Amino acid sequence: MRGDDLKKGASTAIVWLLLLAMPYWLPAIGGYTELGARVVVLGLAAMSLNFLLGYTGVLSFGHAAYFGLGAYGAGMTLKYLVPSTSLSIIVGTLVGTIAAAIIGPMIIRLRGVYFAMVTIAFGQTFYFIAFRWNTVTGGDDGLTGWQRLPLDFVFGQIDILKSSVAFYYLVLVLFAVATGCMAWLLRSPFGRTLLAIRENERRARFLGIPVDQHIWISWVISCCFVSLAGALYALLNNFVDPRALYWSQSGDFVIMAVLGGMRSFWGPLLGAAIFVVLQDYLSSQTQNWMSFVGLFFVLVVLFFPRGVLGIIRRRAAA
Amino acid sequence: MSLLRVENVSKHFGSLVAVNNVSMNVEAGELRAIIGPNGAGKTTFFNLISGFLTPSSGRITFDGEDITALRPARRVWRGMARTFQITEVFPELPVRENLRIAVEVAGGNRLNPWLSRDADGEIRARIVELMDMGGLADKADRLVGELAHGDQRATEIMMSLALKPRLLLLDEPTAGMGDQETYDITQLIRKLHRDQKLTIVLIEHDMRVVFHLADRIMVLAEGEPLAEGTPREIGANEAVQAAYLGTAAAA
Amino acid sequence: MTQLVLFNIFNGLIVGAFYALMALGLSLILNLSGVINFAHGGFLALGGYLAFTLISYVGFWGALILAPFLTAILGLLVERVLIRRVYGRDPLYSLLLTFGLAFIFEDGTRYLWGAQSLPFQVPGWLVTPLSNDYFFLTGYRLFMVLMVAIAVIGLFVILTYTRLGIRIRAGTLDLETVSVLGVNVRILRNLNFGLGVYLAGLAGVLAVGQLGLQPTIGASLIMPSFVAIIVGGLGSLPGTLLGGLLIGVASGVTTVFFPSATEAVMYVMMAAVLLVRPRGLLGEEGRF
Repeated sequence: MRGDDLKKGASTAIVWLLLLAMPYWLPAIGGYTELGARVVVLGLAAMSLNFLLGYTGVLSFGHAAYFGLGAYGAGMTLKYLVPSTSLSIIVGTLVGTIAAAIIGPMIIRLRGVYFAMVTIAFGQTFYFIAFRWNTVTGGDDGLTGWQRLPLDFVFGQIDILKSSVAFYYLVLVLFAVATGCMAWLLRSPFGRTLLAIRENERRARFLGIPVDQHIWISWVISCCFVSLAGALYALLNNFVDPRALYWSQSGDFVIMAVLGGMRSFWGPLLGAAIFVVLQDYLSSQTQNWMSFVGLFFVLVVLFFPRGVLGIIRRRAAA
Repeated sequence: MSLLRVENVSKHFGSLVAVNNVSMNVEAGELRAIIGPNGAGKTTFFNLISGFLTPSSGRITFDGEDITALRPARRVWRGMARTFQITEVFPELPVRENLRIAVEVAGGNRLNPWLSRDADGEIRARIVELMDMGGLADKADRLVGELAHGDQRATEIMMSLALKPRLLLLDEPTAGMGDQETYDITQLIRKLHRDQKLTIVLIEHDMRVVFHLADRIMVLAEGEPLAEGTPREIGANEAVQAAYLGTAAAA
Repeated sequence: MTQLVLFNIFNGLIVGAFYALMALGLSLILNLSGVINFAHGGFLALGGYLAFTLISYVGFWGALILAPFLTAILGLLVERVLIRRVYGRDPLYSLLLTFGLAFIFEDGTRYLWGAQSLPFQVPGWLVTPLSNDYFFLTGYRLFMVLMVAIAVIGLFVILTYTRLGIRIRAGTLDLETVSVLGVNVRILRNLNFGLGVYLAGLAGVLAVGQLGLQPTIGASLIMPSFVAIIVGGLGSLPGTLLGGLLIGVASGVTTVFFPSATEAVMYVMMAAVLLVRPRGLLGEEGRF
């Protein structure tokens, strides 16, 4: 047990060191701060998905719906309501969370592939709304004419608009809160009931765990943090378009979780890093990057199902 | 005092009648065995009692309360625990974690995002207590899926015990076990019955186990009740012999 | 007014018949193998594009016959080489795999045939209306309905009277028993997949005559298939057929009164079904 705890502590420390110092080492190897921020935001999305997928064993393939709702919520707040970045984040997160809380009971009883199908379908519902309601959402052209605004504090102002480094640290703070919450929950008795549901749903039920209720709670928590990621994504790009709601975005999140390792806490973050960099590189090299991404999906499924951290873990054990 | 009362319960699957008009009354503190040839509907009967299935007709009362329509988790809350024919545990978690989950849920901690130091200490103590009782202390950190069949079953029984049940349903606890393992599990069950004063209903095929443990026996055949009585009465019952061995043997 | 409503209901029926055709293929594969073939739309698009290319060699009728078969052959290959590897595993992997394939198909068709819309030549006599009053009853539309009807009847015949069909139906209920009875389950799954993809390919050829041909046609048509299955019922082919038709008609009627909500209505139906009867209208209990 001791060894395990030490290892977990060490990996957490390494991850945080890398994240905190990112604006300094990433440009040195050819990256740029926005890329780092994008990795963290999408990593948060993938980790939130993994709370449900890897830890509760629930196959959600429509998480982009709540990601997109968070993004549109934030963008529309800034564009139509109040010129406040903090409020936009709150609204975005709330919109996604509430939608998830409402949709949850409709789909909770389903399992396996059927659950996945329905989550995809709901995702597309929101995509369609964003696409069609173009007077409000900007339709296929996206929501424009707004941007993230400097944060006003009593003691001064943090210009997260001009300084991408400042924005990166804002993202990191929220990332810390979100992942801290998730880690804490997973280590709690409640978190263990989720593990139980993943490991053997029947046994969980016959231990007195009301499975559907716990899955719903896990679902809402997961969608809450993915909406937060969506809100941050909108602020990062100062732009939202229906792509954020599309089934391919959901697929991206899942592949990030799988690629990094679903059974590990930081796995999805690693998966996000690899995927974002890969996609960035591919789209700059070829028109047909979509085929390569598809091929990548296929290869991961066939040859890397346990993900990078899964492989490392097995080597360590052997 | 009747703890479990099953009244005229039937279960149809389309035109297939799996359980037909079966009644059973189990007193608190009793150890009841259900026996019968394969396909007699014993496990289906258990599924009805534990809530895995809903009866097509009939009523089930537990400690005076009608639980016929209650979902499984809620029956567990009222004090009913069960094991399955094929051991249902968390095979990829260590024994300790399996028990921890059971103990935590039993203590009302299922929604807790946090445990105090004291509560954690109590839980750990209880886990150790259960492991000792089940003879699992030396396997605490091994994955349950890697254990011998008998130890897996013991883990499952201990997890059920963690729930502080008033009624324990055991579905073929010695299935697939050799003599030594069967002996160990039988002793464990007997200890639970005596020391913990648990009411136990078990389905069994191994007659040695049944006659060794049971206060009363109920015999099911083809979904219908065939006989009920003390082990002695059942042992002498010709209809029961016929059901098991064929009418030629009884003649 | 009645003319308009009739027109739209009829239109809706055609669209619905077509959704049903595609959804039936998807349902076949899902029911037997437990795989959501997200690449189904890709196969549909491929069917259309192949027909487009073949038309200059074998004419419309030749393309109509040949394209679905070629698509089905590709389907057999894909199942054999890729899908087969993920059967035993968590459904997560088959979904990711077919996701990836969907990307490859969409981009692949874009690469091979270009990103712009391509004109599809349907024989002229098919496009003329049959009567002036009912101008919307063009030959092509009736032809589509006829083709879908033939395909559905053909599917029914295959499933009821041929050995393959009976095995597929049995396998859908209990694959383990079927294999114990000596049926080669691998071949069964393979052929079933091919059959499902055939239907997608056929739907593709028919669709392009109506909707035109562009690389995104597959992706845009897969969602109605999903919804048709969810609404009509999991595990039930008649349900899928019903689901497709219902969605089509519903969107047809909606067009008259709320044109912008036409696509939304199928999602509303889906939500309603999930709330009231989660297993779908004709779905079997315990499928999920």
